[in-house]
Amino acid sequence: MRLGFNFTLGDTYDMVQRLLAEGHIDYCEFLIDNFFCVDPEELAKAFDCPIGLHIMYSKFLEANRPTLVDFAARLRDYIDVLNPMYVSDHILRFTHEGRAFFHLGEIDYSTEYESVRDRVVAWQEIVGHRIHFENYPSIMDGGREAPAFFERLMKETGAGVLFDASNAVCSHRNCGTPFEAWRNVIAEARHFHVAGYRHSLVEPFISLDTHAEALAPDTLAFLKDFRSVFDKPGATMTYERDDRIEFDDVVADLKLLRELFGQPEERRHDLALSA
Amino acid sequence: MILLSLPSRTDRDLYPALMSPELNAKYPTDQKAFVRIDVSLRMYWHTLFDICPELLELSGLDGMSIFRPFMAWAGEKKLAFDWSYYLWVYAWLRQSPFKERLLADDKYLRSVMAASAARWAILDRGRDCGIVIGCADTTNLVIGWKCRSVRLGREIELIEPEEPLPAPPDLFGYFTLQSFELDIFPGWQSLAR
Repeated sequence: MRLGFNFTLGDTYDMVQRLLAEGHIDYCEFLIDNFFCVDPEELAKAFDCPIGLHIMYSKFLEANRPTLVDFAARLRDYIDVLNPMYVSDHILRFTHEGRAFFHLGEIDYSTEYESVRDRVVAWQEIVGHRIHFENYPSIMDGGREAPAFFERLMKETGAGVLFDASNAVCSHRNCGTPFEAWRNVIAEARHFHVAGYRHSLVEPFISLDTHAEALAPDTLAFLKDFRSVFDKPGATMTYERDDRIEFDDVVADLKLLRELFGQPEERRHDLALSA
Repeated sequence: MILLSLPSRTDRDLYPALMSPELNAKYPTDQKAFVRIDVSLRMYWHTLFDICPELLELSGLDGMSIFRPFMAWAGEKKLAFDWSYYLWVYAWLRQSPFKERLLADDKYLRSVMAASAARWAILDRGRDCGIVIGCADTTNLVIGWKCRSVRLGREIELIEPEEPLPAPPDLFGYFTLQSFELDIFPGWQSLAR
């Protein structure tokens, strides 16, 4: 299992370089559409490591085709130069009746499958690349239908799932989605996210994906219980931290992940060769 | 007050309420739906007051004398809540009981213009590199630049032009820049709703 860190803005550039230099991470994930005004060649030289590309604001469920074609053209510039390990995106709603959500909306998995499937097929065709779609940190009970939705989506579209383990923990805590229901999705997935969460400020408490806290014990327990399903050749686990970013805290969590998943296979291979 | 017994199995059932303090108050407070909407509304609150804390000087510490009536007004006008969110707050304040205090100090205007420029630089995924925002209440301009280098973040500039541009026809106007230079004035665009 390769470990990575999400790079969302220049503020954390020096920190990510240090994480790489000290061997805490093996690759870097760019929130790529934040960097659409940066020369792809500059981005390619930014870090001496493999790269993942995570999309935040394609809004592919809502945007019209010309907008998506233009978005994809710019994305292709980075795909061609960076040769990423994966490209990932989100299945979620950004607006309702033209008004923007500031805490993004989850789809209704039971009624929207066909329309989302068609959009996924079209979006992958426009980008010209397989895309891995991230699961939502469900709050409402409809989140229990997410595992079957993603499993079917993978089978029918050829898309991948970027499985966010801590989002699955939030979904388990909030609406009781069983971890076991995700087994087939995790088994198929090659790329993963993990981060901290916090509780809502008012009762009944719900768990919110925040990327601002240390990994929770139940997140680590989930990873441990399903370790053999997560860990496989070519697998990546990106540690997301977007707020309260303290180097020592990040390293502490990365060490826990490294203890859990061991050295990446490439390093084990290097060790075997040198032994 | 009538409490809603609407189905709330999914997020989608709550979409209409996610930006409405009035609708949230109609959900029983011991239900997950109430908390889900509360979480959403807090994002709007924090997006406003964490970025423009000066506004709390007008409203008091909880901000609710601005937040609640503004959200209701924005709902009536069906404002998109895109990057211009802060500018619409200013537009509401300007016709509210806070008007006199608002106009007595231009720090409030500078703050909301900078916040909106930054929000454009964060959210816009078009090809433009920057946005220039002008206001009829000032000759100063605020520019928001997208991230232009891997080591840099977005940048916000306050410009005091030697030769002021004509005032926007509405309270606020904007234009975008296709390079990282302020070298054109194509005329003002009005805020979308």
